Amino acid sequence: MTAPIEAARLTRSFGAECAVDGIDLVVGAGEIHAIVGLNGAGKTTLMRLLLGMLHLDSGKARILGSDTDQATAAVWRRVGHLIETPFAYPELTVRENVMASALLHSVSPSSIRAAVDRVIEQFDLGHWANRRARILSLGNRQRLGLASALVHEPSVLILDEPANALDPAGVVFIRDLLRQYAGEGAAVLVSSHHLDQLARVAHTITVMHRGREVGMLDPGGIDLEQSFFDIVHRSDSAIREAQS
Amino acid sequence: MRAAYRVEIRKLLRSRVAFVATALMGLLLPAMGLGFYAVAVSGGNGSLADKAAALLTGEGWAGYLGQIDQIAAVALFLGAGVVVAWVFGREHSDRTFPSLFALPVGRGTIAGAKFLVLIVWMVVLSVLIAVVALTLGVVAGVAPWDTGVVLSELSRLVVISLGAAVLSLTMGLVASIGRGYLPAIGTMSVIVASSQIAVLLGTGGWFPFAVPGLMAVAGMEGMPTLTPVQLVLVPGLAAASIWLAIGWWTRAEVA
Repeated sequence: MTAPIEAARLTRSFGAECAVDGIDLVVGAGEIHAIVGLNGAGKTTLMRLLLGMLHLDSGKARILGSDTDQATAAVWRRVGHLIETPFAYPELTVRENVMASALLHSVSPSSIRAAVDRVIEQFDLGHWANRRARILSLGNRQRLGLASALVHEPSVLILDEPANALDPAGVVFIRDLLRQYAGEGAAVLVSSHHLDQLARVAHTITVMHRGREVGMLDPGGIDLEQSFFDIVHRSDSAIREAQS
Repeated sequence: MRAAYRVEIRKLLRSRVAFVATALMGLLLPAMGLGFYAVAVSGGNGSLADKAAALLTGEGWAGYLGQIDQIAAVALFLGAGVVVAWVFGREHSDRTFPSLFALPVGRGTIAGAKFLVLIVWMVVLSVLIAVVALTLGVVAGVAPWDTGVVLSELSRLVVISLGAAVLSLTMGLVASIGRGYLPAIGTMSVIVASSQIAVLLGTGGWFPFAVPGLMAVAGMEGMPTLTPVQLVLVPGLAAASIWLAIGWWTRAEVA
C-alpha cells in the first residue's frame, strides 16, 4: 500500500542554488510528520514540490499514489494546504472566502453551507464571518487560511508554519486539530522552526538543512533544541570538511 | 468551470477597482461626450470649441454619439485594462496565487473563468454606456428623434466600446507573465502611444489597438477604410491572448 505522501530523491535548484537536494520522505495515513530547519533550509520548497507548485528537476513526488504532475481532480479534492499566504481575498468576507475555497475544493452544493458553518465555528471566526478579510488581524487571517484549507475535510494536509501569527491559545488549538485529523487517518506534513510546538504533536521529525535531510529528532526527546543544533552543526562541519 | 466562475464573479462584484471603473466609464464617459458635443455645436470661438468641432463626425445624434465613440475607443481600453490587469495581477500582488494550486479545479479553468467573467462585464458595460448615452441625449435634447440613426449609432457605440474593451484582455496575459498589475499598466501606456504613431504613419489599420479609434472616426476626411481582415484582428488578438494566458496559468510555477 502506498503512503499518502511520498518523495523520492526529490531535487530542485534555482540557478546554482540547490534548494531541495535528493529528499526522501514518506508520510503514512494517521501520521504527523514535522519538517524542521533554519530559514532557507528548503522546507517550503519541499512542500511546494509536493503540491505541484514547482516543477521537479529530478526525483518523484507522489500524493495519494499519483505523481503530482499527473494527479487528477479526485486526488486534489482530498488535499488541503496552506503554504505561506492564507487563502484570504481582502475584498471578500470571511464567509465568502471559506465558501470560495469550498467551491474550488469541489464540496458538494448540498453540503457546502454546513461545511462553511462548521469551520467558521471550529476556528472561532463567527464574530468576523460577515466582515471583509482586509480588516482581519494576522492571527485571524491565519485562522481563515486554515479554515479554508480544511473546509473540505482533506485526508492529506500540507501546512507550512501553520502556527504563524497565532496566539498561545491558537497554537494549542492547532496542535489539537492536527492530532484530531491524524487520529481520523489523515496524513499530515507540517513545517515549523518552533521545535516545542511540533515536539508535542509530531510522530516523526525530520531536520532539513541547506536543502538536505540531515537527521531525525526523537519527538519524545528531552532537549530537542540542543539535538537540533547538534545535527545542524554536524552537517555544516561535514560540508566544510568536504570543501577543504 | 462553474465553481471557478462563481468564485471569480463574486471577487469582481466585491472589487472596488471594478466598481469605480464601471461607474467612471458607464456614467462619466457619456457625460463627457455630451459636454464635448455641446461645446462643438455651441458656435464658440475658443480653441476647445474649435477642437471639439473638428472631431465631429456628423450632425445631430450621429455627431453626439460619434463624440462618445472617440472617447470610448481609448477610455474603454485603458479603463477595462486596469480591471483586467487587476483580476490577473492581484493573485500575485496579494500573494493568493499559491492558494490556487493543488485544487480539483485546474488553474487553466480558473484563468478561463476570469476571462469569461470579464467578457460578460465588458458586454454589460458597453450596453450600459449606450443606455446612459441615449438617456443623456434624450434629456439634453441633442437633436430631433430619428429611430434609424439612433439605433444605428448606438449599435456602433456598443461595437466600438466592446472592441476597445476586449483588446484589453491582452493585459491578462501581460499581468500573468509580469506577475502583477503594474507591468500591464505600463504596457497599456506604451500601446496607447504606439497606436497614435501607427495611425500617424498610416498603418493604424494593421495595429489592432488602433482599430476601435479608426472605427470611431470612419468617414472623416483622410481616415482610412478598415478592411474585414483588419477588423477580425481585434477579436483574434483577444482570443490569442486568452489562449496564451490560459496556457501560462496551466504551466506556471509559484514565484
